[in-house]
Amino acid sequence: MVLPLKLLFQLSVRNIFRHKRRNGMLLAAIVVAVGAVVCTSSLIRGFQYDMADAAVANLTGHVKILAPGYLDDPNIGKSFELAETWRPDVADEELAGWAARVRVPAVIMSERGTRGVQFVGIDPAQEHISFIGSVAVEGEHLADASDGRILVGRALAEQLETGAGRRLVIITQGHDGLNRESGFRIAGLYDAEGTGLEKMFVFTGVDTLQKMVGADVYTEISIRLRRDPVLFQLKASLVEFFTGLDVLNWQELEPQAAAMFVFADSAFFIWYFIMMGALVFGLVNTLVTSVMERVRELGMLRALGMRSRGVVAQVVLESSVLMLIGVAIGIATGWLAVLSMGDGIDLTQWAEGIEAFGMRGKLVPVPLADDIVLIGLMSVVLGVVASLYPALRIVRIKPLEALRR
Amino acid sequence: MGAGAMAEATVSQQPRASAGGIAVLGTAQVAWRNLWRNPRRTWLMAGGIGFAAWMLIISMSLQGGTFTLMIDNGARMMVGHVQVQHPDYEDNPRLENVLDDAPALRARIETLPGVASAALRGQATALVSTDERSFAAQVMGVEIGREAEWSRVPLSVRDGRYLAGSGEAFIGSVLARNLGVSVGDELVLLGTAKEGGVAALASDVVGIFETGMVGIDRSLVQIALPEFREAWNLAPGEAHTLVVVTDRVQESLDLAERVWRTSGDWKTLNWKELMPDAEQFIALKLGGTWLFFTVISVIVIFSVVNAFMMTIFERTQEFGMLKAIGMRPGRILFGLQVEAAWLWALGMAIALAVCTAMILPLGTWGMPLPMDADELLAAMHMPDRLYPEFDSAAAWVSGIALFVGTQLALLVPSLRLWRLRCVEALRVQE
Amino acid sequence: MNNDAVAVCSGVTRTYQEDSVPVHALRGVDFTFSRGDFVSLTGPSGSGKSTLLNILGGLDRPDSGTVSVDGVALNDLNETQLSDLRLAKMGFVFQSYNLIPVLSAQENVEFIMQLQGVAPAERAERAVATLAALDMADLAHRRPGELSGGQQQRVAIARAIVTDPVLLLADEPSANLDSATTEDLLRLLRRLNEERGVSVLTATHDPMVMKYAHRRVNLRDGAIVEDSAADGV
Repeated sequence: MVLPLKLLFQLSVRNIFRHKRRNGMLLAAIVVAVGAVVCTSSLIRGFQYDMADAAVANLTGHVKILAPGYLDDPNIGKSFELAETWRPDVADEELAGWAARVRVPAVIMSERGTRGVQFVGIDPAQEHISFIGSVAVEGEHLADASDGRILVGRALAEQLETGAGRRLVIITQGHDGLNRESGFRIAGLYDAEGTGLEKMFVFTGVDTLQKMVGADVYTEISIRLRRDPVLFQLKASLVEFFTGLDVLNWQELEPQAAAMFVFADSAFFIWYFIMMGALVFGLVNTLVTSVMERVRELGMLRALGMRSRGVVAQVVLESSVLMLIGVAIGIATGWLAVLSMGDGIDLTQWAEGIEAFGMRGKLVPVPLADDIVLIGLMSVVLGVVASLYPALRIVRIKPLEALRR
Repeated sequence: MGAGAMAEATVSQQPRASAGGIAVLGTAQVAWRNLWRNPRRTWLMAGGIGFAAWMLIISMSLQGGTFTLMIDNGARMMVGHVQVQHPDYEDNPRLENVLDDAPALRARIETLPGVASAALRGQATALVSTDERSFAAQVMGVEIGREAEWSRVPLSVRDGRYLAGSGEAFIGSVLARNLGVSVGDELVLLGTAKEGGVAALASDVVGIFETGMVGIDRSLVQIALPEFREAWNLAPGEAHTLVVVTDRVQESLDLAERVWRTSGDWKTLNWKELMPDAEQFIALKLGGTWLFFTVISVIVIFSVVNAFMMTIFERTQEFGMLKAIGMRPGRILFGLQVEAAWLWALGMAIALAVCTAMILPLGTWGMPLPMDADELLAAMHMPDRLYPEFDSAAAWVSGIALFVGTQLALLVPSLRLWRLRCVEALRVQE
Repeated sequence: MNNDAVAVCSGVTRTYQEDSVPVHALRGVDFTFSRGDFVSLTGPSGSGKSTLLNILGGLDRPDSGTVSVDGVALNDLNETQLSDLRLAKMGFVFQSYNLIPVLSAQENVEFIMQLQGVAPAERAERAVATLAALDMADLAHRRPGELSGGQQQRVAIARAIVTDPVLLLADEPSANLDSATTEDLLRLLRRLNEERGVSVLTATHDPMVMKYAHRRVNLRDGAIVEDSAADGV
């Protein structure tokens, strides 16, 4: 038998409108649940992207090439030479940029104090891929790879009680293993998002640092892509090219951030299922009641010749239609809520707490179409599953028995 | 009783004071029976209420234990539960910003109730060198015996032993690896002393520690406090921080208060100020949980409104009869309110039973954390196993919130009772 | 005017809007109901007998005209006062019994006294006595679902008379009963009327009910067309 779907659909819509207030309440519950999930999923995605972005921008890049052992023992001995003509073998439209650097632990001293830092030699022209390329600088940024001045974080400068134009002494180990000590003039102070970076990194021109350590070598190449998916392919080609060096992606370099990324994925599903769990109680109650009120009516339909399948289909359709309406309004509401957050929620009052998560001061919601479609689909599936219990219950009552009630 | 006498007494008001208490008891009983006229609905709604309460209680119970442990682990790692410092030291950790007469201060604080240990420290940044390599490190001069009473650093010996006296250094494992030193090797510590001189000190590495916290393992060198004072030119009574530890973590904020009153002009920092990242992390997590509970409660309360709508609709005729025989709408509503209260009580009972069933075994054997990120957990001072404790505050708050919610939920459809006209209501279903 | 009048209505009219068509249920009815009377309001469906019964019972209000029960003018009372008046002075027996399903027979009877604020011991005593008087003592602890229609109607009557109402109002009391049970019920009402002096007003089109009444008031199209003494059996 072909189910008279159009008829069944009409019946279910009319039955929903039969109890406007009651179904209105249920719709409100669905809207709250779906809207909240859409909102949260956007925030969780925003959190993930921000975190991954921060991790990648934090001098890491998507892929990094390092000498073996550098991660455990970061010193200038763990370095490599690089041909002038080298370029990453990636199509231009996939590549955001790359930077070769020298990064060594160093001690920085003012007349007021001594601090341990990471001393990084950079080519400013290449650094649009990392945070240092876009920071606000008081004073001047480094001019080029041979700039002999240094760029210091504001938080560090405050600790050392120094400022732009003043001089600092830096001690680090040379390529020959002996300590080198040099005086540097401060070109400018930079403001990073979060004081952790400002206290950790001091920058100078890469040529200057190579001269200081006495070798024409690099300790790392950082490559940033426009999209994640080409990462594996790139990594494979790099491994082949840089025989004997370590090629690591950001997940390996920033395991905390990567773990958080995965954790946020599951947080999304936990949120979803708890919300829907709360909804199921009301949904089943409404469906059961509306079906049991109509025992006679449905019994009559069956007495007239509608098969059990048709009755089940009617109940399932009713639930699905209700769910669909709720999901549509819920997604719209959630979307509006996301829009109303505009360019993000200011989290700076929890700056240090969220820095521990690898996040920056602002949480910008990122609504993903994939997520929203998934939420919608799962919700409708839930509506169907929830309606099976009352539907099967009613089919178990024999038509005559139902008519007698 | 004659009909006439009765009539005179009761035309304008219902006497009910005489049997008020009994009437309420009866109402509770009637409401309970009414609840079971539709067992499926009752179970579903109680289940929904229970679900919301369960969510809050169980997550707060899981987190509550974690937070206490986080705070305690974080404090015992190094910073302590309370610190006393020179007023400027926190913002500007210069060598000159010292506590003078520190031993006397320590003696006063040690007598305060709740203080398990109090230790003085001197701190400075120095260049730590071997023949070949140099790294910057935090040098900490410690009172060896006192430090060993509580700090996780002395307990985390990987090679060798903890400090015993002068001429010795106890260093972090990452720093040791970077410097290429092992137990028995000599280090040179070089820095700027107080009032501008050069601080220089040669020490033997007697022990290497590994706390699992990279920040500490990478940068910390501990030496004996008297030696630190001598090298960095501090006077004998001077120190940079006084670290206070308590065995009663929950009361550590009160302790900070007492320490503050005892320590005069010096600055007192409590755990929130010492570990702002942990405090904000906790605030963020708690905020998230409450938001979560609110949304779930709203969903459940909508369902309860819905259920009461059905209930009242189904009993229209009965309410019509009750109004006809002279029961005021307020009185009928009261009966329904008691029903809502029963429903709530049933839901809370479910929540409490499930929570207890989950928390009891977990509290005994612990729950391994699902996250596969040891470093992350270590960074947040989180334990690898949770021992949840029943959070009675969460039970109270969820209970009160859901009680108010269910009562309000009932009011929405109850307005119908006032609009209900007996004649029409009685005609329904006839 | 008769001092013994329990209920008096004069010039009562009542018009309903049914699907925006006005239905003139009562068109100026004057009616006096004496203490100790047993009256049956008769007439075909739509004659206005139920409307008159509801207005006398304080369940409905007339559009014009006055109604007083036991000397109290109903027109002057607000909803709450009406409600209290019903509780104190009226007893109702409905066509479909309308017992509270979750309460036992005795509890149903006690319930109304509880609303009146009668002390528990007295409540129980009066309920038991009333049920016993109606031959329901053995079934006092059953719930309505466990009783037959006639038994349920007895409980409903017990509930209606246990408060010693001035007026017992019964709308189609026999509609859901077989004839034997109806006979029982009517004998019971008659007995209550004679022994206890309960004033009974029924609205019915069951000839058997009419047979038991002292006085028959016949309505047609919202007006009294006949008001005569009946024999009574």
